[in-house]
Formats: sequence, structure tokens, C-alpha cells
Amino acid sequence: MLAALLLAAFAQSIDSTLPRRPPRSIAIDERLAADAHIGIGDRLVVSTSPGGVGDSVVVGAIVRRRADPSEVARAEYRVIMHLDELQSLVGYGDRVDRFAVATRGAGATDSAIRHINDAAFGFQAYRSRDIAVETSRTFLVVSRFHRAIGVITIVASAIFLLCIMLLKVDERRRDVAALRLMGISARSIVRSVMVEAALVAVLGSAVGVVLGWIAAQLINWHYRAVYRTPLAFALVTPSIVGLAITLSLALGLAAGLLAAQRLVRMPALELLSGRREQRPRFG
Amino acid sequence: MLFHLAWATLTRHRSRTLLAMLGVAVSAAMLLDMVMLSSGMRVSLRNLLLSRGFQLRLAPKGTLPFDTDATIPDAGNVIRVLRAIPDVGAISPVLGGQLHVAIGMRTITATALGVEPAVQGDYEIVQGRTPAAPNELVASDDFLRASGAKIGDTLSGASGYDPQLRSLTGRRTFVLVGRAHFFYMPAEQRAVALPIATLQGMRGADARDRASLFMIRARDGVDVDGLLRRIQAALPGVTAVSTETAMRQVDERLSYFRQLAFILGAVSLAVGFLLVATLVTVSVNERLGEIVVMRAIGVARSRVVLQIVLEGVVIMLAGALAGLVLGLATARYLNSILASFPGLPAAIDFFLFEPRDAWRALGLLTVAGILAGIYPSWRGASLPIAITLREEAVG
Repeated sequence: MLAALLLAAFAQSIDSTLPRRPPRSIAIDERLAADAHIGIGDRLVVSTSPGGVGDSVVVGAIVRRRADPSEVARAEYRVIMHLDELQSLVGYGDRVDRFAVATRGAGATDSAIRHINDAAFGFQAYRSRDIAVETSRTFLVVSRFHRAIGVITIVASAIFLLCIMLLKVDERRRDVAALRLMGISARSIVRSVMVEAALVAVLGSAVGVVLGWIAAQLINWHYRAVYRTPLAFALVTPSIVGLAITLSLALGLAAGLLAAQRLVRMPALELLSGRREQRPRFG
Repeated sequence: MLFHLAWATLTRHRSRTLLAMLGVAVSAAMLLDMVMLSSGMRVSLRNLLLSRGFQLRLAPKGTLPFDTDATIPDAGNVIRVLRAIPDVGAISPVLGGQLHVAIGMRTITATALGVEPAVQGDYEIVQGRTPAAPNELVASDDFLRASGAKIGDTLSGASGYDPQLRSLTGRRTFVLVGRAHFFYMPAEQRAVALPIATLQGMRGADARDRASLFMIRARDGVDVDGLLRRIQAALPGVTAVSTETAMRQVDERLSYFRQLAFILGAVSLAVGFLLVATLVTVSVNERLGEIVVMRAIGVARSRVVLQIVLEGVVIMLAGALAGLVLGLATARYLNSILASFPGLPAAIDFFLFEPRDAWRALGLLTVAGILAGIYPSWRGASLPIAITLREEAVG
């Protein structure tokens, strides 16, 4: 049947013969309409093989594909026809590939599946959710891949943040020495450095969220055009924002704590005089 | 001397330098992975398509090979037309289908390929021999595992299932004569290959004289593109694709991964650059006095610039070497994830290591290291000597 649809799409041509009965309507997807310059009301001949004998039809609707991940990489065109006309065209007889059955709620679905499978002769009922899981396996793989890339990115970010915090705290060693000499406790200094690190992390996260949102818009705009689908490829959800800020804050605090503790362990006079530079022990 | 000074500066802050190198290593690993991803799939696919020497493929009009269930009608005539073209060396027709094999009370279903065993390009025999008689078949390891069958066993197979009668159709008895490795099959795919005439007969009227695909090998020295054009002219009812065309079409479908590789590779490079640039800039700011003293005692401005740039390059290269090892390990892991794509031939690798990828990543990182050192070295070399000496002495 898929072959028939595909060939029908490729075999479209303007009908030049007079039909014996009024042509029936078909719906075509907007990709086909755009590529073949077909509009509503155009008459076409659909057949199962290129140039073969077919049926005259009139385009009654142009439809947009649903946001279905399983179809995103499929480039073929799609034609929707009246069932009996397609059965007659492809010589399929009184047969269908599948039935879609609507039930009255989740409880009724279980009962319907049980009844159909018990009573049906030669076919099997499946829950739509199970079929969706099976058909979206490709995207599950992509999702796993993205998660793995995400972990590597987090590791790289953590090292970057730690490095920056070390440098920032190192830069302020004379200020820290002065504070220590004034009698400010090491604990207070560590806290102040950690607050600073937290601020840097939160502000950085806020900028990152804005950049991420802009990137998501660009990604969606680009890939929707490439794959000609309404599917959303990148989403910035509150949970993702929450995770990013939490992670960033945790990493920032850890980096700040590590950097501050290194600093407060050094004697204040040594920090002030800068002699530390001759002491590789402290890096 | 220059290298010694740069090394001394880097080892003065060991933990800082080590951390920067670690950061560069992760960035370099990511960069290497992305360089591998951007080209690996193409190279891997090309190797697969050309592995048996068939440069051209004929598929039903408007489709890619085995992209749909569509078949090419009048296969015998297609072969006659192809044989009339002098540059065609070999033709391998393939019909796809399913084979249901009864094993005791259960039925094993496998992908069935109907082929001309003498010229096929879909599998290689690992054990046993290729089918010679109409009732012989070879099977993949996964089929043998699932069925428990051994070479020499007789199997009862069927090509379809009639839901109305709840019975198998197109029944036939086979002798298993070989164990084969199927090039284009996904991992863990149960597969069998049998003579095409046998499968056509089993499938009945809907497959009579039909083929899903023709693989064509050109004679040695023949211009493949020219042959493709001649075939297209002789057989307008089918789609003829060359290896390049097939790769281009697959490229279009998987362009996402190439673009992802480009974006993530660029981000990795930028992160590495920023890390080294920040570190070297801070390092220069910390030793302004040292730098102007060097200038004051007659060290040339170019030497100062070189020393600072060298610091950046050393961090980048040391990190890159560690990143190479890390990158290969992560590429292996990432490849194992993408290898589970439904329907992907097991022979396709998304991350394929080639020495030129490593050189390309190393080259990019070296350039990034040099660029990262430019600003701090310019700043260090352009300091006013007297003023800076006084400020540093007072400070």
C-alpha cells in the first residue's frame, strides 16, 4: 500500500480525459503540493505505476503532517484517498492494513483489547502507546546520544568553572590577605568567596538560559525547514532550566569552596608579599 | 631557553595549569569526536556500499533501495536490457521478503533475501557453502541462535501468513547449507538468503518476476556516471542510483548529525580557546614586573611574544594529547549508542577514527592555542617599561 501511495504521488499529472463519473477528492500533503505546484481543485490521475492506467481525482485538501518523530526523516510524499478507491486502485479487495479504535477511557481500553484479541480471527489489538514506543525508537536513540553529549558538556563546564574560580580567587589574594590581617575569620572569607561564586554561577546560568532559548529557536527554525515538519527539535522547559541552574550553582559553590580553602590555608603575610609565587606547593 | 622559560611559568602554578590542561583535554576529546562524527558516517557508508564492488543500484521509481516495500516489475526484462549495455559487468537482482520457519511448536520469522547466489553482493559465507539448489538457504548467526538450527538441517519455511485462515502460506522445505554474514543487515537481525526464483515462487502472484533491487557492477575502467546515464535512459521506469547519489541522499537524511558535529566541534574549540586565553592573560597580568624586567635588560619584544604564545600552545598540545585518548574512549561509547538505531546496518560506524581526523583536531587546537596567546602576548610586549617598573616596584 505504501508503494501504491508513493507511486501515485510520482505519477501525478493533469487529467486530460473526461471521467465517466465525477472524480472523487483526495488530500495531498503540503510537501507534494509545494514541490509539484499542485493546488486545491486541480485534477490528477493517480495510478500504481508510472504512466499506468489510473483514476481521475480532484485535489480537495492540502494537509500538513503531524509532528510525528517517526516520520521526520522520511522524504516521500503522501496522498490520502477514500478507502474504497484505494482498495480498487491497488487491487487490495475488501482489506485494510489496520483499524484505529477509539475507546471510552483507559479502563475501557484494557477491556477492548482483551475482547478483540479473544474474539478476533486473524488479527491482534495493540495499545496506541505501545505502537508509539516502538515507532519512536529512533528518537530514543537520539535522546540517549544527547544525554551522553550532555554529560561530557557538564564535565567540561565543571572544569572550566573550577579553573575560572581558581583564577578569580587567586587574583584577590592581596585583598584576602588584608581582610585576614584585619581580623576577618577564614570562615567568613570562605563564605564571601562562595557567595561570589554562587552569584557568578547564577548570573552565568541566566545568560545561558537566554542563549539556550535563542539557540532552541534557531534550531527549531532550521530543522523544521530542513525536514519540513512542525516537530519541535529543541525545547527549553522549566525543568531543564531548573536542572541547569541547580547544576551550575552546585558546581560554582564547589569550585568557590575549593578555591577559597586553598587561599585561606596560606599565611596572610605570604599572600600579601606574593611569595607564594615561588612556592609551587600551592600552584 | 624560550621553551624553558615558558615551562617554568607553567609549572609555577601547577594545579592551575593541570586544571587548564584537563579542560583542554575534555574540549579536545569532544572536538576529535565531532570531527570523527562529521566524516565517519560517510566513509563508513561508502566502504559498505563499495565493499562488494557494485557501484550502481536500481530501485523502484522514486525510492532508495529497500526504503519501501515497493518492487520492480518485469525483472527478467530489466536484466535483458541491462545485459544489452556493454559496460555492465555483473547484475545482482535482490527480492526482499520474510521467511517464517517452524521450529517445533514455535515460528521464527526472519528477513529473507532472494538472490542469484553466483553474483550476490549481500553476504559472505562464514561457514558451509552458498546455496546451489532451489531449496537451499544460508542464514545469519542471529537466525541460527534463535532457531537452534545447524548446517545440514532441514527446515520448513513459509513466506507469508493468511490471517483469514490462520495458516502459513508459500510453504517450502529447505536445507540449511551455510552460515553467512549479511553486510547490510542491522545487528541482531535474523536473516536468510535463498535463490530469488524460490522466493518469488513462494510469495506468489504479488512477487512474480519482481525484484526489490538490482545491484550493478561496471566493467573495469568504465565511467560509472556515464553508465548510470545510459541505464537511466534505457530504464525510465526505475530509479538508478550511484554510490555517490545514495550517499548524498543518506547525507540529506542524516544531515542533523553533521550539523550537530559542526556546532559542538566549534563550541569545544571555543571553550578550549577561552580557557587558555583566560589562563595566559591572568598569568601575564600576574607577572607584568617580570616581563618588563626582561624587556629592560634587552630581551626583544618578539621573544616575549613568542614565550607567551608558546605557553598557550603548550597547554593546548598537552591537553590535546590527553584528549586524543579520552576522545577515542568517548567515541567508542557514543558509537555504541548510535549503533542501536533501528534498521541501521551493523557495519555502519558514526565515529570512525582516521589519522587525518586526529591531525585535523590537533591542527585546529594548535591554531586556537596560538590565537589564545596573541592578546596576552601583545599586552605583555607593549607595556611601557619605565612606568610599569615603577608601578610594580611601588605596588
